[in-house]
Amino acid sequence: MLSGGHGEVNPNSSWHSSRGAWLSYLAGVLALHLFLLSIPVLSIPSAWTLTNVIHNLANYLFLHQIKGTPWQLMDQGKARLMTAWEQIDYGQQFTTTRKFITIIPIVLFLLTSFYTKYEFNHFAINFLTLLLVLIPKLPQFHMVRLFGINKY
Amino acid sequence: MASQWNVYESFQALLQAGPYHLALEGVLVMCVLWLFTAKKKPSKMVRLTKKEEEDLLADWTPEPLVPQPPPLDHPNLHTRTVYGKAGQYVDLGTGQKLLNLATQSFLNMGERPEVEEAAVTCLHGYGVGSCGPRGFYGTTDVHLNLEERLAAFFNCEAAVLYSYGFSTSASAVPAYAKNGDIIYADECINFALQRGLQASRSRIVYFKHNDPDDLHRLLKEQAIADAKDQKRANATRKFLVVEGVYFNTGEVCALPELVVLRRQYKLRLFLDESVSFGTLGPHCRGITDHFNIPMTEVDLLMCSLELGAGGNGGFCVGTSFVVEHQRLSGLGYCFSASLPPMLAAASIKVVDILEEEGAGLVQQLQDTSTQMHRALTTLHTKVNITGAELSPIKHIRLNESSGDRQSDEAVLRQVVQKAEEYGVAVTVASYLSDREANAPQPSIRITVHKNLTDAQIDTARDALTHAFTDVLG
Repeated sequence: MLSGGHGEVNPNSSWHSSRGAWLSYLAGVLALHLFLLSIPVLSIPSAWTLTNVIHNLANYLFLHQIKGTPWQLMDQGKARLMTAWEQIDYGQQFTTTRKFITIIPIVLFLLTSFYTKYEFNHFAINFLTLLLVLIPKLPQFHMVRLFGINKY
Repeated sequence: MASQWNVYESFQALLQAGPYHLALEGVLVMCVLWLFTAKKKPSKMVRLTKKEEEDLLADWTPEPLVPQPPPLDHPNLHTRTVYGKAGQYVDLGTGQKLLNLATQSFLNMGERPEVEEAAVTCLHGYGVGSCGPRGFYGTTDVHLNLEERLAAFFNCEAAVLYSYGFSTSASAVPAYAKNGDIIYADECINFALQRGLQASRSRIVYFKHNDPDDLHRLLKEQAIADAKDQKRANATRKFLVVEGVYFNTGEVCALPELVVLRRQYKLRLFLDESVSFGTLGPHCRGITDHFNIPMTEVDLLMCSLELGAGGNGGFCVGTSFVVEHQRLSGLGYCFSASLPPMLAAASIKVVDILEEEGAGLVQQLQDTSTQMHRALTTLHTKVNITGAELSPIKHIRLNESSGDRQSDEAVLRQVVQKAEEYGVAVTVASYLSDREANAPQPSIRITVHKNLTDAQIDTARDALTHAFTDVLG
């Protein structure tokens, strides 16, 4: 698929910013959580931890692992080595979209901690996955590949 | 079974949570608050106040439209005009018919009545222009027919037609090679290809002209670097860009050696056949035909229709998987108005002719080229002729350069002027020397036409000998 147009080189830089995308994101997390809660064998703390872990892993996969774009760009491969997170708003930091996407996992972690009654095992898992998605979001880690992980 | 949720218990847990946990949550809450208050980092665009804008405008003195006006005797201000058809003989306005050794219609296709007739017939049916790019109302059945014919002619799956020879290779290369890739290219490739390489944003590695050993050395070096960083190597595509017959030197590409290297090092071979199309091989298919190398050994074949085919535009052929990619990614294809149908119709006729009498045409052209090459070898002691014997393009260069491009070119232009007086039209090969990657040494570019007779070759040799003797002594 060929994409862009109207002066926009890379749609990956902007679609995250639409309110529809924000709403879908929140709705997706909620749906996941409700689904997990509805599984009888899962206790409420497990459901919360699972929600958090699945969310964080998906967040990492789609924002920080997969590089490039699903469509073809006229940018001569500029975005080929950039993760989706790095493409948002053409790399500009502290934009509203970036703040929103950063705050969601933090809030989710706080909620999960509360609903897991601050149990250490739950906390350890939740906190480690939180770090997994928070560290790559820091402005200092823009285009940085720690230890060469996921460089090419 | 999930137990009942008790809010009271949860708050008890919160109160009993260890200080480390509360501290951590405090930090995270602070993070959220900090994010809410953090200012958006200004984008790279600088915003000026009204006053600053006005100050800047007041300070601004516009540069002259032409920064440094060229001297009045600059050759580009005195281009020669051809009156009438550029055929075997041309009229440069003096009324004298000059033997044409300057234009690149090697097979004299422009003079064939049936080609002209095909164009005129199509003109009556379709009008002049197609009024749009190929993807935007600009496609007619003539274009599709020509593509089909060209694909069949080259025994390939698909062909894609461009409306301008230059933009064919300049668009095809950057449609595939991207940022982070490596392109190995011959140092003497033509300017259109160089623009393509530049537009690709890939790393460009030039190897010595027509020297597979030098390419092999570079590939070995890269293989060593690749072994150290396998991940990087896996993400890097390697391209090899060469010409069948080099427009800037007239040499025939050492394709058999390159094909071996292509297999060994997994290169994507892009071949520009602009000069060799219609001039090499028993079926006129160019360099692959000449060396009897199957088309599967070449990943993409790019070719201009403006030289041997005597028409306009250009095309690429290859597997449909590769070629169809250009219909959305070849910038020259997407954003240029399509080739006027009448020119496409003329090119179809040219393909007809090549299919019918190709072998004879090529043989005749190669014989003439060889004869011309031999005739020109002993022109003058101070010049040499480069290019393969059977190549229809030959370059005459000064043995000893004065060290200054412009004065060399001025000398050669004098020779050209003299040659005109002796009845032969030739031209100095023009280069944008500051934009070329490796600007070739100034030269007089001789093009050979199939129909040249022995007498005409003698005339050309004598005229050039006299011209060189007059100028160089």
